[in-house]
Amino acid sequence: MTFRQARWDEPDLWDLAAPPAGTDEPSIPSVPERLRRKSTFLWPELSELEVVRHYTRLSQMNFGIDTSAYPLGSCTMKYNPKVSELLARRPGASAVHPYQPESTVQGSLELIWRLERLLAKVTGLPEVSLQPAAGAHGEYAALLMVRAYLRDLGQTATRTEVLLPDTAHGTNPASASMAGFSTREIPSAEGCVDLKALREAVSEKTACFMLTNPNTAGLFESEILEIADVVHGAGGMLYYDGANLNAILGATHPGRMGFDVAHLNLHKTFATPHGGGGPGAGVLAAGEKLAPYLPVPRVVKSGRKFRLDYDRPKSIGKIKTAFGNFGLDVRAYAFALSHGEEGLKHVARRAVLNSNYLAARLGRSLPRPFRTLVKHEFVLSGAPLKERGVRTLDLAKRLLDEGIHAPTVYFPSLVEESLMVEMPETESKRELDHYAEAFERAVNDTPENLHAAPRSLSVRRVDEVRAAREPLLSWKDLRAAASGKAQAP
Amino acid sequence: MLEALGLASVDELFRDIPKKARIGRLGIGAGREEPEVVREIDKILDRNRPLPRFASFLGGRIGVRYLPAAVDAIVSRSEFYTAYTPYQAEASQGILRVLFEFQSLWVELTGMDLANASLYDGATAAGEALLLCRRVHEGRRFLVPASLPWEERSVLANYASGPGLTVEEIPYDPKTGRLDLEFVRTAVAARDVFGVLADIPNGFGHLDEGIPELKAILGEVPLVVSADPLSLSVLEAPGAYGADVVVGEGQGFGTSPSFGGPLLGLFACRKELARQAPGRIVGATVDVEGRRAYTLTLQTREQHIRRSRAMSNICTNESLMALAFVVYASLVGPRGLAALQSSLAEKARTLASALGGIDGLQAPRFDAPYLGEFTVELTRGTTAGFLDRLRRRKILGGIPLADPRPGAPPSPERLLVAATDSVGETESQKYASTARAWSAAGGKG
Repeated sequence: MTFRQARWDEPDLWDLAAPPAGTDEPSIPSVPERLRRKSTFLWPELSELEVVRHYTRLSQMNFGIDTSAYPLGSCTMKYNPKVSELLARRPGASAVHPYQPESTVQGSLELIWRLERLLAKVTGLPEVSLQPAAGAHGEYAALLMVRAYLRDLGQTATRTEVLLPDTAHGTNPASASMAGFSTREIPSAEGCVDLKALREAVSEKTACFMLTNPNTAGLFESEILEIADVVHGAGGMLYYDGANLNAILGATHPGRMGFDVAHLNLHKTFATPHGGGGPGAGVLAAGEKLAPYLPVPRVVKSGRKFRLDYDRPKSIGKIKTAFGNFGLDVRAYAFALSHGEEGLKHVARRAVLNSNYLAARLGRSLPRPFRTLVKHEFVLSGAPLKERGVRTLDLAKRLLDEGIHAPTVYFPSLVEESLMVEMPETESKRELDHYAEAFERAVNDTPENLHAAPRSLSVRRVDEVRAAREPLLSWKDLRAAASGKAQAP
Repeated sequence: MLEALGLASVDELFRDIPKKARIGRLGIGAGREEPEVVREIDKILDRNRPLPRFASFLGGRIGVRYLPAAVDAIVSRSEFYTAYTPYQAEASQGILRVLFEFQSLWVELTGMDLANASLYDGATAAGEALLLCRRVHEGRRFLVPASLPWEERSVLANYASGPGLTVEEIPYDPKTGRLDLEFVRTAVAARDVFGVLADIPNGFGHLDEGIPELKAILGEVPLVVSADPLSLSVLEAPGAYGADVVVGEGQGFGTSPSFGGPLLGLFACRKELARQAPGRIVGATVDVEGRRAYTLTLQTREQHIRRSRAMSNICTNESLMALAFVVYASLVGPRGLAALQSSLAEKARTLASALGGIDGLQAPRFDAPYLGEFTVELTRGTTAGFLDRLRRRKILGGIPLADPRPGAPPSPERLLVAATDSVGETESQKYASTARAWSAAGGKG
C-alpha cells in the first residue's frame, strides 16, 4: 500500500480573503429602489492565483478515471478520449448560441442529425432525439411520451401502471412516478426477470415495462423475446434503460429485442466525461408508435440543408431549454467515428471479457450470487465478511486505500451486502490483475484495518450520519453554527 | 484472459444472447484514426458561423460573456471532469467541497437557506420547483407569467402533466409587462393554486416592480422566483421579499453557450423545504478524527433510496458546470459581477436610445426598467425579415419570442434584444442604421 492522496489543509475560500464591505457597488440608475439589492452578498474578492491554487489543490483531493480505475457498476467509467475535449472546445462548437438563425448553425444541426442517424442504427430504433440532459431525464421524457400515446388511445385512465424488475435502477421508479404512473416491482428469479411473475403481473392496467438488459446484476435477460411478447400481448410498451448498452454494442440492440423506446447515456457508452456528476447526455430513441411523440424540435434534412422542425402535432413539446447537451454530442460523435462498426463491437467484447475475467478472480474472495456468465458488470456479496464483523462499506473504504475507486455498493438490493463491479473496455489486463490483487488484500485484511480505512486519503472515514442529522449545507450554516445558532432543517 | 476463463473465443461470452435477438452489421462505417476524426468533425463545425463572426445581441437565458482563461484551466483538470458523482466521500473531497461552495454562493445570491448541487437547466429547475410546491401545498393550478419564454412554459407543462396539474398564465399589463396582481389575488382566493412562479428579469427582459408584493398576496401558497444570477449582484435577494424557492439558469457563469448545452440549473429554497428538495445536496460534517469533511447528504429524499417516492429522479446533474459557476464568480468577484451587470445595462440603454424613434419598431416595447436586455416589437413586417436583414450585415439582432410550433396562438412580432460584452457603441449604431434602412424599405427584409 503505497498510495497517498494529497491532503491539503485548504482554507475555505471564505477565509482566503475578507469579503468586501459591499457598499461601493456601482449603482444602476434604471433599477427601481424597491428592487435594488440591500441584502448582503458575501463572497470574497480573490486574485487569480488564489483562485487557481485553491481549485488545483481541491482537484488533487479527488479520484478521477485519469488517476485511477473507477469500477463503479452501472456507471461505465471508461476513458474519456482527449481528442473529444479538443473538438468540443472549437469555437464552431462552443461559441454558438442556440437561437442563431438556422443558416448560421448548419454545422451544429448536421452534427446532431448525423449522430441521431448513427444512434438509430446502434439502437435499432428509427427515430432519435438528443434533447434529454441525462439518463434519468430521458427515462422521464420517454414515460411522458408513453403517457401522451395512451392519451391518444383513450387509455390514460386505465393503463396506469409501470412494471419494473426488483433490480431496476432507482431512477426508473422515480421517473415513472414523476410521469404520473404507479409502479409495481416484478421479482427476479436467479437475478433475472421471473417470466411467470411477469405474466401474472401484466394486465389491461400495464402502461409500460421498464427493463435494463443486461440488467444491474450484469446478467443478460435471455428470455427477452418472451418478455417482449408478454408485455406487448397485454398491450403495454417495452422501455429500454440504456445504462448498460456498453455490453451489447453490435451484438444485439433494443430494436431487435422488441423494445419500443429507449434512453441511452452518452456519458457511459460514448465516453463523454462524467464531470464529477454531470453533465450527462440522455438520448431518446423511439420505434414507430412513439416516434411522433418525441420532443420538438427535430432536426431534419431537406436537400442539402438542415433545419429545425417544430411541426410535430403529437410531440410532448420541450423537456429542456434548447436542443440537448450539444457539447457532449460533439464528444460522442468523435468517439463513434473513431470506433466505427468494428470498434463499437470490440468495445462490448472487451468490456464483457474484462468483466468475466475479473469476476472469476474476485469470485475466489467473495461469493457470486447468480450464474457465472456475466456481461459488462458483475455482483458479489460481502455477506460472509459479517462473520468477522466487517461490512461491504468497510471493504469499499479499504479499496480506496489501494488508490482505486470502490465498486458500487449496496446495489442491487436483492443481494445482501452487494458490490457491483464494472471495469470497462479501456482498462488493461494489468489493471484488472492489479485490482484483483488489491481486492484480495483488502478482503483478507484484519477487521481493525478494514474498520479504520481509509487512511491514505485527504480525510478519514466521513461521518455521514451526522451530516444528515445536523445538516450544514452552506457557509451560511457554518457561520450560524460557529456563532451557536445552528439551524436544523 | 480467455485462457484463464477456459474459453476458446470471446463469442462464447455472448452465448446468453438468443440467436433470434442477434443482429448483423450496424452499417455505420469503419473506424478512423484521430487525424481523420479531427478533420471530419472540423469540416462539419466549419459549417457553423460562430458568434465571434457577428455583432451578437443574443441573450435570453443563455449568456454569452467573456470567460476568463482560468475557468477552463480549472474545469479541464481531469481529476474533476473524469470523476463521477461523489458516492465515496473520502475519495472525492475535491468535488464535494466545490459543490458546497457552489451551494453557498447560490444561497448568498438568493437569500435562501439552502441550495442543491445543481439541476439540468433553469427550465427543468422550475419544473422541479413546481413539483415541490405540489408536495407542500394542495391545489391543481400553478401560475406562471404569460411572458415566460415559450420553451419554459412547455417544459413546465410537461413537468405538470404527470400528476395531472395545470400550468396557467398570469396576464400582464400591455404597457409595462407587469404581472396582473389582481388576477393572482383572485386565483389564489379560489384556493386551487398550489404555487406561483415569477421571473426577474422577466421573459421580456424587464424588471417587474410588482414582484416584491406577490408573497403578501400568496400567503401560504409557495412563491417560486426564477432569477438571473448576474442580476442578483444588483437586485434584491428574492429571499428578502418572501420567495420560498429560487431557481435560475447558471450557464452564464463560466460555461460557453455550446449551442445550448450543457446548461446549469440553479435551485435554492427555505430550510422548511429541505427534505422536500430535489437533487443532490452536499453537507459539511467531520471525519473520525474530527477534521472537516464533506459528503452527499439528506439522501433519503433521493431515487436510489426512496425509489418511486423520491423527491426527484435526479442522478447525474451538472457538477462540472457548478464548478465553472463558482470559479467564474470567484475570479470576477462580487464587485466585478455588479460592474459587469452595470456595464451591460449601460450598453442596453445605449442601444435602446439608438433604436428609439425608428418608424416601425418600438424599442423598448415595454415601459418598464431593464438591465441588460429588453423587448423590441415590430409594428410592421416580420421578425424573420428584420433579423435576416441584420444578419446580412453580420448582426444577430435578437431572439424571436413567438412559439414556433404550428398551431401556437398568434403572437406579436417581438424580439428579445440583449447587450453582450462583445458589442459596444459602434455595433449599436450599426444595428440602428440597419433598422432605419429596414424601416425606410417599408419593413421588408
